[in-house]
Amino acid sequence: MISNYRALLALLAPETILVVTALLVLVADLGLLRGRDPRRRATVAAMLGGLGCFLAMAFLLQPPEPRNLLDGMLVVNPLTQLVKQYLLFITFGTLILAVESRCTCHVGEYFALLILATVGFMFMVSSENLLMIFVSLELASLSLYILTAFARQTLASAEAALKYYLFGGLSAAFMLFGMSLLYGLTGEIHLADIADHTRSLGLDPLLILAMAMIVVGLGFKIAAVPFQLWAPDVYQGAPVPSAALIASGSKVASFFLLAKVAMVGFSGLEGSGGWGQFQAGWVPLLAVLAAFSIILGNLAALAQQSLKRLLAYSAIAHAGYMLTGVVAGGESGLVSLLYYVLTYALTAVGAFGVVDVVEAQAGDDRLSSFAGLSRRAPLMSFCLLVFLLSLAGIPPLAGFFGKFYMFSAAAGAGQHQLGMLWLVILAIAMSAVSLYYYLQVLKQVYVSAPAPAAGRLVIPLPVQVVIACLALSVIILGCFPNLLAGKLLLAFHGGH
Amino acid sequence: MVGLLWLIPFLPLLAAGVIAVCKRPRRRLAAGLAIGAMGLSCLVALAAFVASLQGHAAAGPAREYLNFSWFEIGSTSVKLGWVLDPLTALMAVMVTFVGSLIFIYSAGYMASDENFTRFFGFLSLFAAAMLGLVIANSLLLLFICWELVGLTSYLLIGFWFHKPSAAAAAKKAFITTRVGDLCFFVGMLWLYSQSGTLLFYDHGAGCLEKSALEKLAVQTTFEGLALSTVIGLLLFGGAVGKSGQVPLHVWLPDAMEGPTPVSALIHAATMVAAGVFLMARVYPILTPDALTVIAWVGAITAVFAALIAVAQTDIKRILAYSTVSQLGYMMMALGVGGYVAGVFHLITHAFFKALLFMGAGSVIHGCHEEQDIRRMGGLRQYLPATFLTYAIGMMALAGVPVFFSGFWSKDEILHAASIWPVSHGPFLLGLVGAFLTAFYMTRQVALVFWGKYRGHQPAAHAGPEPEPGSAHPRKKKSAAGHKAAHGHALPHESPPAMVWPLKILAAGAILLGFLGTPAWPWFHSYLTGHHLSLELGRLFESGTLGVMLLSTLAVAAGIGSGWKLYGRAGQTRELPPDALETFQPQVFAVLRDKFRVDEIYQATVIRAVAWGGEFCHWLDQFVWQGCVRILAQLTLGLAWINRAIDELLVNRGFDRVCRRIQDSGGRVASLQDGQVQHYLRVIGVALAMLVLLLAWGGGLW
Repeated sequence: MISNYRALLALLAPETILVVTALLVLVADLGLLRGRDPRRRATVAAMLGGLGCFLAMAFLLQPPEPRNLLDGMLVVNPLTQLVKQYLLFITFGTLILAVESRCTCHVGEYFALLILATVGFMFMVSSENLLMIFVSLELASLSLYILTAFARQTLASAEAALKYYLFGGLSAAFMLFGMSLLYGLTGEIHLADIADHTRSLGLDPLLILAMAMIVVGLGFKIAAVPFQLWAPDVYQGAPVPSAALIASGSKVASFFLLAKVAMVGFSGLEGSGGWGQFQAGWVPLLAVLAAFSIILGNLAALAQQSLKRLLAYSAIAHAGYMLTGVVAGGESGLVSLLYYVLTYALTAVGAFGVVDVVEAQAGDDRLSSFAGLSRRAPLMSFCLLVFLLSLAGIPPLAGFFGKFYMFSAAAGAGQHQLGMLWLVILAIAMSAVSLYYYLQVLKQVYVSAPAPAAGRLVIPLPVQVVIACLALSVIILGCFPNLLAGKLLLAFHGGH
Repeated sequence: MVGLLWLIPFLPLLAAGVIAVCKRPRRRLAAGLAIGAMGLSCLVALAAFVASLQGHAAAGPAREYLNFSWFEIGSTSVKLGWVLDPLTALMAVMVTFVGSLIFIYSAGYMASDENFTRFFGFLSLFAAAMLGLVIANSLLLLFICWELVGLTSYLLIGFWFHKPSAAAAAKKAFITTRVGDLCFFVGMLWLYSQSGTLLFYDHGAGCLEKSALEKLAVQTTFEGLALSTVIGLLLFGGAVGKSGQVPLHVWLPDAMEGPTPVSALIHAATMVAAGVFLMARVYPILTPDALTVIAWVGAITAVFAALIAVAQTDIKRILAYSTVSQLGYMMMALGVGGYVAGVFHLITHAFFKALLFMGAGSVIHGCHEEQDIRRMGGLRQYLPATFLTYAIGMMALAGVPVFFSGFWSKDEILHAASIWPVSHGPFLLGLVGAFLTAFYMTRQVALVFWGKYRGHQPAAHAGPEPEPGSAHPRKKKSAAGHKAAHGHALPHESPPAMVWPLKILAAGAILLGFLGTPAWPWFHSYLTGHHLSLELGRLFESGTLGVMLLSTLAVAAGIGSGWKLYGRAGQTRELPPDALETFQPQVFAVLRDKFRVDEIYQATVIRAVAWGGEFCHWLDQFVWQGCVRILAQLTLGLAWINRAIDELLVNRGFDRVCRRIQDSGGRVASLQDGQVQHYLRVIGVALAMLVLLLAWGGGLW
């Protein structure tokens, strides 16, 4: 039990600060700046939000004593704090992108929702309790549905949001059903306690149903095949900052949650996904999802003409890669997963930032709009090059080490050494395929001639700075992967 | 101090980065940045040197190192680090100092080149890589930098890439050294698999420290060879490629296609010595067996290259072969156990060979891009400063006694060879090499600086081009510019930015020798940590004195015969045929054709590779292409199906719904139609499949 509320508040300080910030943004925008120029309002909102992010981050810098409050409703340890720091960093980047994106005239609401979604992510990272997991998941999801719908002047945005909402609502319902089954079976809502019961229970038919339903709910959040149907439309239709947040922050939090539910909640029910050693459990379940995501995501991306759709399918493929990290399990699996998803998030925000810049001037995000970009915006082109090559896993960029860590973790995982080799080989082969479509984009950017009338792109300085910083961090994390991987390992051991 | 060591390579790297992003016409900025960064690096290197001197005062050679983890895989962590010991400090000071001078010289030499900024960018990148190599405390880091210097060497040899010969030379250099690098790489992997670390020094756990060495020495591979012998020889393979030892020496003379400052910096003073440095660095691993091989390869290279140099006519190629020969000396020194002698010669050679190359550059510059020594002559009067410094360099290289550094370092090598218990062969070869060195250098200096100027007179300018290589558009333009400026085609002295570095290096070429005389072996004591004392008597011990006299004799004979044959050859306007050529035309032809090594390679290795390539091409064309086509079609088909499902079924269906919503003015009820159920169906079916999968695996049905 909590001894006093002050201690609780201290642990919750980052989240509290963000909620207050969101409210302040609303107050400032609706109360003080009503009727002003939207760009000015957006700047003020972003500044407030950025300040909130930094304040919250300051509270996270101090590695805390590992705490587990109220049956896992709030779990705080070095690892969760580290992941939250990155989430805040990503949100900060998104806020800056949102200033220049000019996707809406409801500035205050938009920024407040961006921040609230982040709060949801942070709670997702920090909870090991079914109730809290569901509530935080819904907080994040509902914010994201609205964020998707914000470009009210375009039909695509509304369509995407509706699809997202319907799909999300349905999978949330399944997930809730799964959770209730789990509670009915075990009488517990704390993941660790659930695991104690299920271990003795074995693979009960009802447990199987519960497990599959929970996987449906989380599979929707991470956009794994076959729960990916919403992703291409949402990525394409949503305002770019929203899409960036869905591709980055939401991914990070969801994968952390998924890893936690699988590794803690279903510990003892791993089963085996090794080739020819199939045995039911969450490992083969996720391995199958991973394999399908990798294949379908990469192949579908080959045929895309819109860069945002291409990034969406690539995100599906990457979700598949990341699932191999969850499948690998254990320390190396979790650390490699977090390294991958964090670096992927940086890359995704950056790539969407560049797309936004180009789309704002060219009017669409077709690949042909990127022709000759290297001559129209050399710095942005170089950043795009870094992002895409990192996504493809080319050294010395962060994506390479992400894949390297993850595949080596997966190859050596489990009691059957090299059991998951089939998945690793599939993933490596398909990442070779992925190089093709990334290079297609870069070919447009660097080789094709620009449209005759196209001049240099005018890009606001803050956006340039943010994107360049993201590219730089991708390069630095690629050259010195230990900067992050070492921290993650340290935090992992500090938390256990 | 060791904590700041990273600054030494970092500053040039930073300069290279800034130059890379700045615009092309910022010439002054680029040169300033490069020279400034190099100068600062030099200061840091000097500070490191002083720090190592102070540490040295205590006991034994001082060694500090700093290791850090680069990345971790599971429980293994790959570590990098840097080390400060006498070898590093000496090399760092040499590279930064000579490098700074060459950078300054380049600012003058390349002044009229349109790609001036690119040149300085590459030079800075090279310096960064070379310095990284020098301070590395990990074979892996050393290897990375090793490859980087290879890359920059390639870029700089091919700097004038629109000249076909330069492009070809760059490729040749890159590919030839690659053969050696492969050996190096295999050796490195083997070492790692056996010792589990690639750090040189790591508190007793490094691969050059006692425990690892003992482990390596007791293991044997095929034929009873100790493992450390095999690994040492594989690493030596890398050094053979980089340092141009026989049989991989062929790239180095061709590398002279690069701009002359590049030849001076990379292909004389620093990079080619990296092989020697590598051997000196891993010296503890090398077993007597490996050292024997190294000694013989070095000795043979020393004579082999010197013989070729005798018959060359291109001023830079003579120096190139001389470099190969001198590198052979250094290898031989290491092989016969003269570790200090090898490193000493490395340092002195860097100074006087850089001096000679830059002098040659000044000559070439003065003679309007002429490189053939048969068309020079009499330059003494036109380029007095160049002549003086060049003569000092030549005497240092030839090993003229007492006053020149080359004498002392070469003498130490010969001394070490003379007391080598295994064989006297290397010693005798070394003496022959010393004779030949003095001979060809005398020939060169006589033909270039004595006699009458035989170059293009304005009237004779219409004559055929001397070398296809020198037909370079930019150079022609600048040569024409010179002519226009001077109104005649007589040679002229170079600008001060080029002459001053020559003078400084000339001073170095003289003074450095006195750091390592037998009477006051400071160099020896610094490297090995032995006590230092001044004892003139040691000069006159019988062994030392005998070797000195022998080498003096060889040098005197070389200079004497060279002067006798060529001293008066240049008096006439037309050069008489080479004295050696008239004496032994066939032998001379073989020498002039560089023992036809290139032709032999062309007939064997290259043809075999070409055949292999043909075969692979055939395989590609008829076997793989079919497979790839089929796969590609399959992939395409799959992708289209995916897209069709996704876009046609799902999206278009949904679009239709949306349109219907619009058409009917918001009949919300129609949302219920079809498509939402479709979504539900996907999730539902997926859920069912997952449950079935689990149930099947759980043996529930």
